[in-house]
Amino acid sequence: MNQFNPRQRLWLAPTLFWIYTLSYAAFVVAAAFFTFENGDPVGGLAQPAFAGLSFGVVAGFALIFGAFVLAMIYALLGPREQETPSRSNR
Amino acid sequence: MIYQTSTLAIIVFAAFVGLVLALSFWLASRAKSASGYFAAHGQVGWFVNGIAFAGDYLSAASFLGICGMIAFFGYDGFLYSIGYLAGWIVALFVIAEPIKKLGKYTLADALNAKFNSRGIKLIAAITTLVISLFYLVPQMVGAGALVKPLLGLPHWAGVMMVGATVTVIVATGGMVSTTWVQFIKGTLLVIVCAFVVVLLLQRGFSLPASPIESTEVQTISKGPSGTIVNGEPLSLENQLDSGLRAKHGLGFGSVAELPNGVNSTGPLGPLLYIETFSKSTITTWRKGADANGATTYTPVPRSGQDLLLPGSSPTFQSVRSDGIFAKLDFFSLMLALFLGTASLPHILIRYYTVKDAVAARKSTVVGIGAIGLFYILTLYLGIGAMTSGSLDPTDSNMSAPLLARTFGNGTFAVISAVAFTTVLGTVSGLILAGAGAVAHDLMKDYWGMNLSDRQQVRAAKFAAIGLGVAAIFLGVFFEKMNVTFLVGWAFNVAASANLPALVMLLYWKRTTKAGIISAMAVGLVSSLAWILASADTLEKVFGFSAADAATSALVPFSQPAIVTVPLGFVVLILVSLFTSKSPTTAE
Repeated sequence: MNQFNPRQRLWLAPTLFWIYTLSYAAFVVAAAFFTFENGDPVGGLAQPAFAGLSFGVVAGFALIFGAFVLAMIYALLGPREQETPSRSNR
Repeated sequence: MIYQTSTLAIIVFAAFVGLVLALSFWLASRAKSASGYFAAHGQVGWFVNGIAFAGDYLSAASFLGICGMIAFFGYDGFLYSIGYLAGWIVALFVIAEPIKKLGKYTLADALNAKFNSRGIKLIAAITTLVISLFYLVPQMVGAGALVKPLLGLPHWAGVMMVGATVTVIVATGGMVSTTWVQFIKGTLLVIVCAFVVVLLLQRGFSLPASPIESTEVQTISKGPSGTIVNGEPLSLENQLDSGLRAKHGLGFGSVAELPNGVNSTGPLGPLLYIETFSKSTITTWRKGADANGATTYTPVPRSGQDLLLPGSSPTFQSVRSDGIFAKLDFFSLMLALFLGTASLPHILIRYYTVKDAVAARKSTVVGIGAIGLFYILTLYLGIGAMTSGSLDPTDSNMSAPLLARTFGNGTFAVISAVAFTTVLGTVSGLILAGAGAVAHDLMKDYWGMNLSDRQQVRAAKFAAIGLGVAAIFLGVFFEKMNVTFLVGWAFNVAASANLPALVMLLYWKRTTKAGIISAMAVGLVSSLAWILASADTLEKVFGFSAADAATSALVPFSQPAIVTVPLGFVVLILVSLFTSKSPTTAE
């Protein structure tokens, strides 16, 4: 099932981390800068997304589901025990 | 407020507490060594540990605080759900596996793994204690809020009950019993909340029976003759607890208008439930004051669409402002939620209870699954509480249990007992983390006391008792604060004090012990000082008016993480560069 080589598996954690971090940052920026103007909703999280839900609700659900999906990917494809670095610098 | 007790609720509550205590005494024999007491011998299975993560993490703030915040302010509470869950990504991808390889019992063990420094032990123990105490406050406040409707006891009695029960749990079985209490709690919490959400979806939305009566301004004042509600002495009939007032058609928190002019929607699917809410008009309650100084609760109709946007609550109102400092306050809190999880000592010590790094990873994935599911449920619970005529407008923390009461006393009894177990699980973890810091880091390693394995465990048990007493005092003192707000502070302090040191220790080879000590000290002191000098603290702790707090505050916004976390990184890098020639410098 795990077709990655050990080096690719070691890169998986930082790759997934930055994917999620950038998504989270985009969500926060959208809430702060693109949703309100003079206190009134103008776009960003206030925009309709699908099924009658706003982008704010959809993005919130997506960030929660997305965290689990990335975690599962890492659990299935991440480094094996003998490949995990100690990172202790000892 | 006055609450009517339910015999069923008392029986269920007593059964839960009895089960937890019996479990602790039964498991006590497995926690006689330091390894057993602090880390459950590192033999906890990854699935049990993952659910225990959920039990440890889903605190009173998550259950009572977030549901309450959504019930009062809509989407703002969900922002906490998103931020809290996102923090687990940092834990999983950055911290989990290396910390498992470095540590033994405590956060200090990991930070000190390559330095053998008494200074690191001291500062790590101090940050652990400070963060744990910060985090303890909202849990104890939540406990006090729960026993009022459940057992008809005052706030302080609930705080004392939790303090005493948890002290017994930690003092008997240490990490072994704490793990199982958290596992049971995590399982029950997710299942029971899912059950209530199913009931909510089945019920759908409906307009209240007496919409006019439920939209009158309410006033409460306190004087020498006691609490006066709407001009009359407080009684069961006139108080603002909707569960009782609903009998008189005076429920709080209701739908004013549904889409297409219907009176009731009938059962709804999960997405249709949110969509229907967003197209409805909701009667919310705004707190204020009248000319005589009495507290007023004024009904304010708001569109569901607006309630599903951020910025309705005092905590997040800055997001609707155009001011740069207001935006920074919002960014700072979201940053603290993102970075704080992986810096919480009571979460980090759970990585020592599994056998290896892969088990640590798997347990984190299980934790993310359980915690994520719960946080999705919080949106439904909060919206349900907001629209079911069950709110107590004087106490947001009671929203979820009062919502459960609309489905009958049995549901109320179970969810209140689960909520109480929720507090027990989290407080157990916090007190255990604090006890480890005192007995293992301070007494044994910093002060160099020659403690045998059993003496170390005994010292930790005495420390647990001391922390339990401290938690009781703090829980009584901070009674009136929203528990989610308080946890936000704990996340700010944890992220500022611990995260720079943890990350740089793991990923920068030139990190020195002086760098770690400096970064932790600066992060801790700067974040605490910032919080103390903020407008939020002046208003909510010291009782300033909002206007006075804004003018008297010494810092431009209230959440410190966006300043103090980078400050910690800068201090660590600079000090490490200056001290890189010392004998303990990493190669």
